[in-house]
Amino acid sequence: MAANKTQGQQVTIFMVGITAACAGLAYITSGLGKTALIVGVVLLALSFWKFYSIKSLEGKIALKSQPAISKLAGLAVNIIGWLVVLLGIHLTPSVGGRMVAAILGLAISFASIILILPTACNKNAIWKA
Amino acid sequence: MKFTRHIVSMCALAACLAFGATAYAAPSEATTELQQGVAKAPAVADLQKGDPGGTLTGTINDVPVSDAKSGLSLTDVANQVGQNKIGINFTWTLICGFLVMFMQAGFAMVESGLCRVKNSNHTYMMNFMVYACGLFAYWLIGFAIQMGGAAGNGNLGGLQPLVGEHTLSLFGRTWGLFGQNGMFLTGHNYDVGVMVIFLFQMVFMDTALTIVTGACAERWKFATFFVSSVLMGAFTYPLFGNWAWGGGWLAQLGTNVGLGKGYCDFAGSGVVHSVGGLSALACALIIGPRIGKFNRDGSSNPIIGHDVSAVMIGCFILAFGWFGFNPGSTLGASAAGCLRIGSVAVNTMLAGCTGTFGAILYMWALKGKPDASMSGNGLLAGLVAITAPSGFVNSVGSAIIGFVAGILVCLSVAFVENYMKVDDPVGAISVHGANGIWGVISVGLFADGKSNYGGSWNGVTGSVTGLFYGDASQLVAQLVGVATLVAVIFTITFVINWILDILLGQRVSIASEVEGLDIPEMGQLGYPEFVFKPEPEVLIAANQAAVA
Repeated sequence: MAANKTQGQQVTIFMVGITAACAGLAYITSGLGKTALIVGVVLLALSFWKFYSIKSLEGKIALKSQPAISKLAGLAVNIIGWLVVLLGIHLTPSVGGRMVAAILGLAISFASIILILPTACNKNAIWKA
Repeated sequence: MKFTRHIVSMCALAACLAFGATAYAAPSEATTELQQGVAKAPAVADLQKGDPGGTLTGTINDVPVSDAKSGLSLTDVANQVGQNKIGINFTWTLICGFLVMFMQAGFAMVESGLCRVKNSNHTYMMNFMVYACGLFAYWLIGFAIQMGGAAGNGNLGGLQPLVGEHTLSLFGRTWGLFGQNGMFLTGHNYDVGVMVIFLFQMVFMDTALTIVTGACAERWKFATFFVSSVLMGAFTYPLFGNWAWGGGWLAQLGTNVGLGKGYCDFAGSGVVHSVGGLSALACALIIGPRIGKFNRDGSSNPIIGHDVSAVMIGCFILAFGWFGFNPGSTLGASAAGCLRIGSVAVNTMLAGCTGTFGAILYMWALKGKPDASMSGNGLLAGLVAITAPSGFVNSVGSAIIGFVAGILVCLSVAFVENYMKVDDPVGAISVHGANGIWGVISVGLFADGKSNYGGSWNGVTGSVTGLFYGDASQLVAQLVGVATLVAVIFTITFVINWILDILLGQRVSIASEVEGLDIPEMGQLGYPEFVFKPEPEVLIAANQAAVA
């Protein structure tokens, strides 16, 4: 399908929507601001809905569906690593203890983005077919 | 009675004389000196004769007088000194911002040069439009999120309208989360200082956004790139920017939990380059590799770029723009340690130089050829790595940081491609992600404690000092920053782009990708009068297999 008028129109609606929504947020205390926010959110939803409806017309892409559970698990492990770092700072006042916690937490997070997520995203990669 | 009236009259006269004498007190020494100076200043008749040597222009007569009746005062002079300081700092910051803006051209040339000719228009257009997308999103809401609570910068006049940081109370401390002042730059934010900091921070933000286009080149749907860039400029980048530079919790690690001077990132190895590089990794994982990049056994095929000259010239443009990136991050050239701008500029140059050496010597000694594109990436890696520590380290530290970056980028490119099986046409993940992280960590190692930016940093008295100069806690603060980048920023970008993939689709069709994105996505070839050389056979075979 490639770039086309419908895409262009939806990008325009998206831009108008996000502008209206932000204007609404900026003036949220006023009635006009609240109206702008609602209009903006509606336009954003409309643009995304329309994008979704034309997505299938794009044609076949060089990407197969990837396991969502594995991806979510990878993201969760990533966040856990970060929480280990933060917890370490809170639990121990010593620099050495905080350093160990930081390195451990970082290792967990790196394992997620280097190992778990690439494995998940490449599970059904087109080059494996 | 007469005598009493006489006494009262004498007292009243004495009081009037005393009051008058007070009102007409003799001028102070300073005032006298100022008045003498005004008298000696070149007269209009002298100036009308011309001033080829510049010795008559710019004198005491150019200091604005607030009260013409009483003439020039010490207050007038002090006010002008303050104006001069702010004026110098405004000018410096703005000109540096203009240099950083020009880096967009460098990125465009590097990225397009490293891609195939059939995608050149599309790649250039992504780099062109990302400037507008990011700027607009930042004006809408991004600036407010990042700098909405950043009041207190003395270099730019205080930025007092920017008071509005949302905070969280946790473990008995207050932690900044995001700002809220500055949307659309209206109301109180229609302010000369706010305008300066907006421009400067915006061009940094656009640098981060443009990094992602490199990793996703040759298969990213233009409409999705558009939406993704707007969202990144509006939310993802500003969030981390606030945490590091806008009065947020990362900067408060020093004051709140005693970790060095908090997370320190002088010009953005973390805020700009790591955010960009890790976002690039997230997007590249979702989009998948180009057709023909990997074989069935997992081995990779080199996909050669179409224009080495564009790459090399682009690298020089980036190196030139980096003189605005790092030295400009003092946000001034007057007071509060700003005279360190020369040191920062030299550190930047040195790291770029040794980064080039690290890469070219690695490639030449181990692979046999002084590879041009890797040499360019080595220069960029050195510049990325020095970005965070540039204001805190000495020249020897800079040279080491740059050299390590040059080698690291070569190792990282191979690792990302051969082990992680992530296709990154321009090496953005390695140049900006890996070396951005190295830059953040190197602050915690090499900061020498000799810098002095107004006697404190992030509200903690003293100078930023790393492990090698006696403060291990600074390294811990940097590691917390790295963990936040890897976990939080990567995850936010991954989730946003995963949703966009579901709703819009990130990737173009196989037919578009095989044909080249220029015609299907942009409607025109980048080089319409050129006759293209056929692609290598391995890529032709992969294209045919994909279409089938």
